[in-house]
Amino acid sequence: MITIADKIIKKTKRRLDWRALVIFLPGFLFVFIFTFYPMAKMLVMSFFDWKIGFNQVSPFVGFKNYIDVLSDPIARLSIVNTFAYAFVTVPLQIVIGLLVAVLINGIVKGSVGFRLGYYFPVISSWVVVALLFRYIFSNFGLLNYFLVDILHLSSEPIGWLSSRWSALFAAMMLGVWKGVGWNMVVFLAALQAVPKDQYEAADIDGANRIQKFFMITLPNIRGTMLFVIIMLSIGAFNTYTPITVLTGGNPAHQTEVVLTWMYFKTFNAFKMGYSAAFSVIVAIIIILITITLFSLSKWKRRD
Amino acid sequence: MFKKLLVVSLFLFTSLVLIGCTDKTGEAITLEFWHNYSASDGQVAVLETLIDEFEAENENVTIHPVYMEWQALKDSVALGANTGVLPDILRGDIAFVPQFQSLNVLLKVSDFDDYETAAAKVLTAPNSSNKMGTDYYGIASNTNTKILFYNKTLLQNAGVSVPTTLDQVWTASQTLTTGGKIGYVEPWTGIWNVGPYIWSNGGDVLAPDYSTATGYINSSIVVDVITTLKNLYAAGALAGPSMDPGAVGDTDGWASGLYAMQLDGPWRAASNNAANVNYEAIPLPAGSAGSVSVLGGENFMLFKTSAVAKQEAAWEFVKFMTDKHAQVEMAKVGQMPVNIEALADAEAIAAMPLLPVFATALATAKARPVIASWSEIENVIATKVALAITGQKDVQVAMDECATEINAILAD
Repeated sequence: MITIADKIIKKTKRRLDWRALVIFLPGFLFVFIFTFYPMAKMLVMSFFDWKIGFNQVSPFVGFKNYIDVLSDPIARLSIVNTFAYAFVTVPLQIVIGLLVAVLINGIVKGSVGFRLGYYFPVISSWVVVALLFRYIFSNFGLLNYFLVDILHLSSEPIGWLSSRWSALFAAMMLGVWKGVGWNMVVFLAALQAVPKDQYEAADIDGANRIQKFFMITLPNIRGTMLFVIIMLSIGAFNTYTPITVLTGGNPAHQTEVVLTWMYFKTFNAFKMGYSAAFSVIVAIIIILITITLFSLSKWKRRD
Repeated sequence: MFKKLLVVSLFLFTSLVLIGCTDKTGEAITLEFWHNYSASDGQVAVLETLIDEFEAENENVTIHPVYMEWQALKDSVALGANTGVLPDILRGDIAFVPQFQSLNVLLKVSDFDDYETAAAKVLTAPNSSNKMGTDYYGIASNTNTKILFYNKTLLQNAGVSVPTTLDQVWTASQTLTTGGKIGYVEPWTGIWNVGPYIWSNGGDVLAPDYSTATGYINSSIVVDVITTLKNLYAAGALAGPSMDPGAVGDTDGWASGLYAMQLDGPWRAASNNAANVNYEAIPLPAGSAGSVSVLGGENFMLFKTSAVAKQEAAWEFVKFMTDKHAQVEMAKVGQMPVNIEALADAEAIAAMPLLPVFATALATAKARPVIASWSEIENVIATKVALAITGQKDVQVAMDECATEINAILAD
C-alpha cells in the first residue's frame, strides 16, 4: 500500500535529484559568480559615473557614458580598427587553415610533424611572439634589413609600425600566423568526419579534386565553418596583446583596438562607467554579428 | 535549552574572534609594504637589510615587502580601493599621490604630530608633490630630475661641441643625425618629456591656479617648442616609440650607439654604465627663461584603510626610511636622496658621481601639477603633441584642441 509519505518522497525525488544537483551546482556557481554576476554588475555600472574609490558614492548618469563612448573619436577609431582586424584575419585564417588541413589530410607519411609545426605558434606565448614580430617589423628590424640591405627594394627603412594601417597590418599578420594552427586542427577533425563513400561515389562519377572539394568537402564541414567563423570573430574583438606589444596603441592612439582603449580608460583614467558602457556596446556588436552569421547559414541551408 | 546554549556559545566565539583581531600596541603587527624598488640595481637587497634593521629596533613589527612594477602598483591600488585589499605602506611615483587621493584611500599624514619635524629633514620641492590644498598625503622617498645625457663618442665623431643653450641642443641633434645615427630620443610626448623645453622657454601647461589651459598649453611659446620638435622629427633627428612605435627603444638605442642625446633621469646612468656607453651628462642647457627640468621621484604613502596601530607603526617605518642612514644606503644603489643631510654625505656622492649635476638641476626643477585628473590631462597632451610632432595635425590646431579638452576635464 502506498502511504502519503511515500508519495511525498517520490515527488521530492523527482523534483530534486540530489546527484544531479551536486554535479550541476559547482559549475553553475562558478559561472554565476565569475561570468553572469560581473556581466550584470557591468551593465549596472554603465549607467553610473562609477567611482572605485574607498567609500565613494557613484552618481547615476543615465546614458551619458554611452553618449561619451559614441562621441569619442578614439573609441570610434578603435571600433573601426577592430573591424578591420576581423575582416582581414578571420577569412585569412580560415582559408589558410583549411588549405593546410586539406593538404595534411591528404598526406600519408609525416602528417604529425606538419601538424606539430603548424600548431606550434598556437601554443607559444602571445607576448613572446608579439615581441618577435616587433623585432621583425621595427625600423631597424629583420624585414627592413631584407628590403633595404639584401634585396635593395627600398633605399630607406620602411616605418611599418609608424603609421596606423601598416602597424595594423603587422598585427593582422601576427594574428593570422598564430591562428592558422588552431583552424587547421579544427578543420582536420571535421575533414576526417566527412563520409568516405561520398568521395568514392564522386570518383565513379569522374569528379576532379576541385569539384570534390566544393561539392563534397565544403558542404560537409559547413557546421564547423560556422563555428570557426563565430569563434574567430569573437576572438578578433578580444585582440589585445598584439597591439599592446607591437605599438601600445601609438602613435597618438591611432592603432588602438576596443580592448586596448577600454583598458586605457579603465586603468589610466579610472573611467569605469565609460569602460562598462563601451564593453556593453562591444557585446552588442558581437551578438549582432553572431545572429547575422547564424541566420546567414540557415538561409543558405534552405537554398 | 539547546537554543540557549547555542546562542551563548556563538556569543563567546564571536567575542573571542573579535578580541583576537584587535591590534594593540606591543602586540605583533605585520605591515604590508608595496613598492617598486628595482631588484636588478640591488635596491631590493638594500631594502631587505633596512627592513631587518627596522625590525630589530621594533620587535613587534614585521614588514612584508611586495614588489610590483609601476602599472601593477597603480592597478592594484585602483582595485584595492574597491575591494579593501590595500597595503599599509606604498612607495611609488609622485604622480600617484593625486590619483590615489582621488580614490579616497590615502591617509592625511600631516595629521601626525611629528610630520613637520620629519618633513623638515627632506627637500621641500620633492615633498611638495604630496601637498594637496594645505594637507600632505605622503612624504618624499627619493627624488630625481632629468639631465641631458650625451654620447661622447658620437659628439666627437660628428665634431659637435657640448651644447650650452637649448637652441644648440636642437642644432646639434640635426648635425649628429648622420651615418645612420639619430641626434635625439624622446620616448614619450607627455609633460614629463616636453615640459622641460616648454618651461625653459617661459611657457606653462596650466594657469597657476589650475583653472584653465587656454593661453598656456596653446600659447605661442608651446607652439614654437612643438614646431621645433616637429621639424626635428621630420628631419629624422628625433625618434621615440610613442611617436613611432617602430623606433628603437631608448635603452636599446643607447646601448647600440644609435642615439646621441637624451634628457633623462638617474636610471640612464645605470643602464649606460651596464652597456659600457661612453657618456657624460650636464643640466639641461638653458632656454630663453633658464634651465627648468621636471621633478620626478617617489613618495611614501599610508592608507586610511589600515588599523590605527598599523598606521602608527607604518609612520615609524616611513620616518626610518627618510632618515639619513636609510637614504645614504639607498643612494649607494642609485636612489637620489631627499634627506638633506644624506645629499651632502660623502658616501652618497661617491656612489652617485652625477649627484652634483642632478643637484644643480633639482634646484630649478619644476613639479607637474598635483591635481587628481593630472594623468588624464597628461594623456591628452601626449596624444595631441604626438599628432603635432608626427605631422598628422597642424601644431596650433592640435594645441588648441588640447586646451579645449583639458578645460573640459578641469571643469568635470
